[in-house]
Amino acid sequence: MSAWKLWKQMFDAWESTTADFMEQVLRSPAVLEPGGAWLTGMMKLKTASDKMAAGWWGALGLPTKRDQERTLHLINQLHSRILDLEERLEGAERP
Amino acid sequence: MIERLLGLTRLARRTPPAVGLTPADVVHRENKWRLLRYRPTGGGPGDAPRHRTPVLLVPSLINRHYVLDLTPGKSFVEAMVARGHDVFIIDWGTPAAEDRFVDFDEICDRYIGRAVRVAARVRDREGDGSGGKVHLLGYCLGGTLAVIHAAAHPERIASLVALAAPIDFDEAGIMARWVRTKSFDVGALVDAMGNVPWPLMQAAFHLLRPTLPLTKAVSLVERAWDDEFLDGFFAVERWSNDNVSFPGACYRRYIEALYRDNALVTGRLSLAGQPVRLQRITCPTLAVTFEGDHIVPEASGRVLLDLVGSADKRSIRLRGGHVGAVVSRKAATTLWPQLSAWWIEHDCANDGPAHLPGAANDSP
Repeated sequence: MSAWKLWKQMFDAWESTTADFMEQVLRSPAVLEPGGAWLTGMMKLKTASDKMAAGWWGALGLPTKRDQERTLHLINQLHSRILDLEERLEGAERP
Repeated sequence: MIERLLGLTRLARRTPPAVGLTPADVVHRENKWRLLRYRPTGGGPGDAPRHRTPVLLVPSLINRHYVLDLTPGKSFVEAMVARGHDVFIIDWGTPAAEDRFVDFDEICDRYIGRAVRVAARVRDREGDGSGGKVHLLGYCLGGTLAVIHAAAHPERIASLVALAAPIDFDEAGIMARWVRTKSFDVGALVDAMGNVPWPLMQAAFHLLRPTLPLTKAVSLVERAWDDEFLDGFFAVERWSNDNVSFPGACYRRYIEALYRDNALVTGRLSLAGQPVRLQRITCPTLAVTFEGDHIVPEASGRVLLDLVGSADKRSIRLRGGHVGAVVSRKAATTLWPQLSAWWIEHDCANDGPAHLPGAANDSP
């Protein structure tokens, strides 16, 4: 057996054991709970800073990023409704 | 060993593989998504699709559609077109900031519904269609969406294939455990980010098998001399690093209703105000699962057959992982012929059943 094949066999055995062990670790609430709490904390921090920035824009009478997103979304929805109507019309015209 | 070393030195000079090359036309466009129809092989008048019922492929929302059309010779789509199927696919596109408001109903009800109707209409206009029906195949999260849509609108579905699609989210592994922890606040995530960024989701998927990058590196060294392997390897790598973010409102419902509440299995899910009952799926249904799938465990996908109301329901269980079993050279001789046979058997033009090699029949 070549040195590479021997090394590969050892690597495969190590990988399988390590992956199983890591899965057990990651499944543990002791890892998942703090992971979730950290992510949630960071997200709340971002939301708070975004709100502050939006407040400044609003105070200057300018549309915020969220205002623009809402408007664009409504335009997209209008387009979808027009397509709905076109489909209905086509269905009604069909014998 | 020398061949391997020489191969490794050539890696840096390799050009990235071209992907998604099967010729297609855009037959519908709405918001960021498009419906593509693949051209028949040859493109001449005699090369028109031989089977009446069109096939609509629904890929995952967070991955690019070209995984099903990877490279010539390793393309599921190319193989199906060559076998005479009229293949349509949804390209979900890239959500922009305003798509944070696109919700689950919009995607699963309106967008997939439109794709089903347009595909059937395009085929019917050519005079030999299936009377408004399509074969629906959903892959991964696209499979979950396809199943939910089929349960809400069964009238237009000729047959349903759930390809490595998570259905029972109690069986969905570490991801389900994580999003079910009290400290994980999906609302805070969506409020802050809008669309859920793909790097965050990719990092979560890497946690499912943290040793995978190392395994890939070793495979690369081992097969560095094999050009065909390298082409496939880099094509899949290109695809797996070319992800899209998840529309925020849709993600929130996906996590709350499916991951946390397991509402599809428990019958508590609704779509556009209507209850979703899997029992309403009565068309022929096929569930495909893979033994080595770390992303969608087999148990999560196979349960579909216990819940649908179909008289003709079958399962295919293959070796391999979530992606490899769908796009590998082996898939071309195992999975693809079986899917083609399934569609031919259930083509609206066919009267009698055909043999589907390798599939287990779960019919009563």
